[in-house]
Amino acid sequence: MWQELHAELEAEGLTVVTVALDFDPEQSRTWIDQAAPTHPSLVDSEHRLDELLGITNVPMAVWIDEAGTIVRPAESATIRTSALRSMPLDDFPENIKNVLTEAQKIPDHSDEYRAAILDWAAHGSESRFSLSPDVVVARSQPRPMEHAKAAAAFALGTHLFTTVGKDAAMPWWRQAHELHPENWTYKRQAWTLESTPEGQPYDLLQEVGDTYGTSWYEDVVALGGGGSYGVEPRL
Amino acid sequence: MILTSLNVSPAEFAEGTGWESKPEGMCKGDACVPAPEAVTDDGQVSVREAADRLRLPLVSDEAHGVHALGPESGGRALSSAVAPDIELPDVDGNPFRLSLLHGRKVLLVAWASW
Repeated sequence: MWQELHAELEAEGLTVVTVALDFDPEQSRTWIDQAAPTHPSLVDSEHRLDELLGITNVPMAVWIDEAGTIVRPAESATIRTSALRSMPLDDFPENIKNVLTEAQKIPDHSDEYRAAILDWAAHGSESRFSLSPDVVVARSQPRPMEHAKAAAAFALGTHLFTTVGKDAAMPWWRQAHELHPENWTYKRQAWTLESTPEGQPYDLLQEVGDTYGTSWYEDVVALGGGGSYGVEPRL
Repeated sequence: MILTSLNVSPAEFAEGTGWESKPEGMCKGDACVPAPEAVTDDGQVSVREAADRLRLPLVSDEAHGVHALGPESGGRALSSAVAPDIELPDVDGNPFRLSLLHGRKVLLVAWASW
């Protein structure tokens, strides 16, 4: 998907850079091999983009112009409507049906967002989607002390995960989630370690585990349901 | 920034946080914050004092003797629209620096396998 967009816009002066927020690059590799990207395809195993750019979920994107100035801050970024959205759910077991029902409520701006990227590629700073520095800063994610502390707790957990092990990391990841529940990159990443056997592809259902005591579904509902999930692009 | 000591050299502190110790205080870009207690008599940065002054969260895992210092709080995730010069590896570990794309538009997309 991103590779196609890159190929389409490369000659116009736009480069796509994808960054996988994965502890284990091997989990990213399968997807990367399949996409066969000709653009830079990077791995951020420490989730540094959360702290540096205000990434709080995936997929999210940031636009950077030729001079290295951010012209759109981190926001939800999809360019193709997922087939999941129109899938009939009646035949699924209750738990999967619940998850997919909320997932189908997540606002979809794929067509408008893709059109906005094309407009920016063609018109640069003249594009109405290219924002001034003041607006970029003002629209970037808020960072009260709790969110900054969540970033520190997640970093400490990730450090302990690699140096000591999962049990040392979990209390810190749990704290990161409690301090900043809207940052899904903390919990969704840590969850995978709970329900996925070592060496297997990630279990994506994210049901109740020992670490958090709640499932993805319960957390989404607690935060207002799929309709308020993520950072909607203001186009 | 991960720390195993709460007293570090000014160079280490600047490397980890972007805040440099100067005569006028702790400085990052144009911003300077007076922080007389943040530098000890032997010229080290007291991380606890500096964190307090700069509104950086400090969390400590006493059992493992390790600490983490988080980003500035109280504002927005971006303090300016200048893109940080991020260096990250590809899946094989080869480093790539974002500033190599200077002169081109960049669509930076965060995704994950989870």
